[in-house]
Amino acid sequence: MFALRSSAPRVLGRVSAVRPATSTMLQRGMATVNDPPAEKEQSKMKTFSIYRWNPENPSEKPRMQSYTLDLNKTGPMMLDALIRIKNELDPTLTFRRSCREGICGSCAMNINGQNTLACLCRIPTESKDDVKLYPLPHTYVVKDLVPDLTHFYKQYKSIKPYLQRDTPSPDGKEYRQTKEDRKKLDGLYECILCACCSTSCPSYWWNSEEYLGPAILLQSYRWLADSRDERTAERKTNLENSMSLYRCHTILNCTRTCPKGLNPGKAIAEIKKQMALGA
Amino acid sequence: MASLMRPTTLLRQTALASRSAAFARPAAVRAAAFQTSSRKSAILPAGPQVIQGGVNDPAPIPTPSAAHGSYHWAFERLVAAGLVPLTIAPFAAGSLNPTLDAIFCGTLLIHSHMGFQQVVIDYIPQKGWPKLRKGATWLLNLVTLMVGVGLYEFETNDVGITEGVKRVWTAKAGTE
Amino acid sequence: MLASRVGVAATRSAAKPFMAQNLPKLALAARVPATQYRPIATVKHTPAEGDQILAKQRLNRPVSPHLGIYKMNQTWFGSSAWTRITGCTLSGVAYLYFGSYLLAPLFGWHLESASLAAAFAGLPMLVNGGIKFLLGFPFAMHFFNGVKHLVLDTGRGYAKSTLVRVETAAWSFGILGGLFLAFGL
Repeated sequence: MFALRSSAPRVLGRVSAVRPATSTMLQRGMATVNDPPAEKEQSKMKTFSIYRWNPENPSEKPRMQSYTLDLNKTGPMMLDALIRIKNELDPTLTFRRSCREGICGSCAMNINGQNTLACLCRIPTESKDDVKLYPLPHTYVVKDLVPDLTHFYKQYKSIKPYLQRDTPSPDGKEYRQTKEDRKKLDGLYECILCACCSTSCPSYWWNSEEYLGPAILLQSYRWLADSRDERTAERKTNLENSMSLYRCHTILNCTRTCPKGLNPGKAIAEIKKQMALGA
Repeated sequence: MASLMRPTTLLRQTALASRSAAFARPAAVRAAAFQTSSRKSAILPAGPQVIQGGVNDPAPIPTPSAAHGSYHWAFERLVAAGLVPLTIAPFAAGSLNPTLDAIFCGTLLIHSHMGFQQVVIDYIPQKGWPKLRKGATWLLNLVTLMVGVGLYEFETNDVGITEGVKRVWTAKAGTE
Repeated sequence: MLASRVGVAATRSAAKPFMAQNLPKLALAARVPATQYRPIATVKHTPAEGDQILAKQRLNRPVSPHLGIYKMNQTWFGSSAWTRITGCTLSGVAYLYFGSYLLAPLFGWHLESASLAAAFAGLPMLVNGGIKFLLGFPFAMHFFNGVKHLVLDTGRGYAKSTLVRVETAAWSFGILGGLFLAFGL
């Protein structure tokens, strides 16, 4: 299927922002085994060094495996490269991906030392260094680049991430809020729970068992800040211990890494402030 | 490469495909021994993964206690904020009067103790190392108490902390 | 997808070269789905058994690398980490000194400020300054970062650009302040 599409003529380009949108679309799905070598203007080879671990051989230690791709034949994003490696070089390479546009959070991984979404991360073309890909740091690895996020989701569930109310709405239709109150949720509701921030946090590395981590705390604040929610006190009480919230030491790796440009560090600071002032 | 050549029962088909792919372009795929300090660099190793309860159960919520939560946090900030003027004062005035010096000592001791406490909580997780954690906590308490007494002795029998630091800091050869 | 099909076709043609050469291509293509089989036997498991298998698999999982691979300036050189390191250095030295001060009479040590100052004055200029820098740098760094964290706790200064600038400022203040305290006083 892919081969059919790729054998059609396409714009072979270096990665640049000014490529027309249509050719980008073509480029995305492209992956091919038999590229006509005549098209090569100047091959731009890039080596991707990828963390590998296979649960079938659990006694074997994790290792790094290198793959070299010609960037002229690869889409601009890290995920394009990964898909091309899987299609052409090594079908055993395992990673999560879904939407390829930064809305599902599946392809969160550590790229060149920073957590981000592979689909939103450009392949760096300015340097010739190898690109290093690891699974999210200090997670248990299911296989290759796939981390186990079970505990992360269990923690998310523990903060009851849904509207809790006892009083019905005055008009019996919907719970209304003012524009100002709605504005408080901006920068919070956009979180896609990709776990980039949580797994960038050294505090979460050492205490992920009990510390909720930036992603879950940002979500927690999303419900604390919601004017329609009526269980604010209960939510705060659940954070009143030394571990859940107060393992945050404002390291702020979370804010620096968030691929969606959100600010988990600030959300946590707001929770702490609210808790201290009793507001 | 070696692992690519070893087809597993589950992935026989993909392994076959990978074999043909690997033959096609052997230069493109290289495997290297994995050099990482994944376990060495951790303060204490995380241990094997054990998940309590089913995947749909929420993670347990610890028993609430404001003394370990918001009060503790607010107190810590107040102490830290209080230390700021107390540290600047001796720079401005040269030295502190005995009362202020004593207050400074006490605050500093609390600040240090709380800081060390955070270190213990962070790096010796209750889960997995409960005994070590308990031991470290009590050792810290004991040491802080000892240092507190030492500070008291120093304050009453010697020149006081700010004056003492000043004396040592400005000591020059030949002046003594 | 294509690669896997090529692989299957290749093994098949290797097994029966004569057939493959003579069969019309269409017929070969038609045979593919009919003869494809999976060499996996399905085992039935109850959910409880499945959970047990999963629990066993989990025990084998490695922890992915963290400190070794994360961006150095956010882990090893992060100002938050250095607040802790410098704080522990200062408090550690203070604990050591005042703890020893308490025990000094027992062992006959002389740790009074006067004798300490005298001993300190006897050191060569560089050693003297070096020791002062080893204390002055943590003090300056911890002081700056402490104030920074107090400001952060009020909910201000969280913009990414601010974070980077403040971090640079923290290191400059720490090193310059340390040098001043060591050699300038």
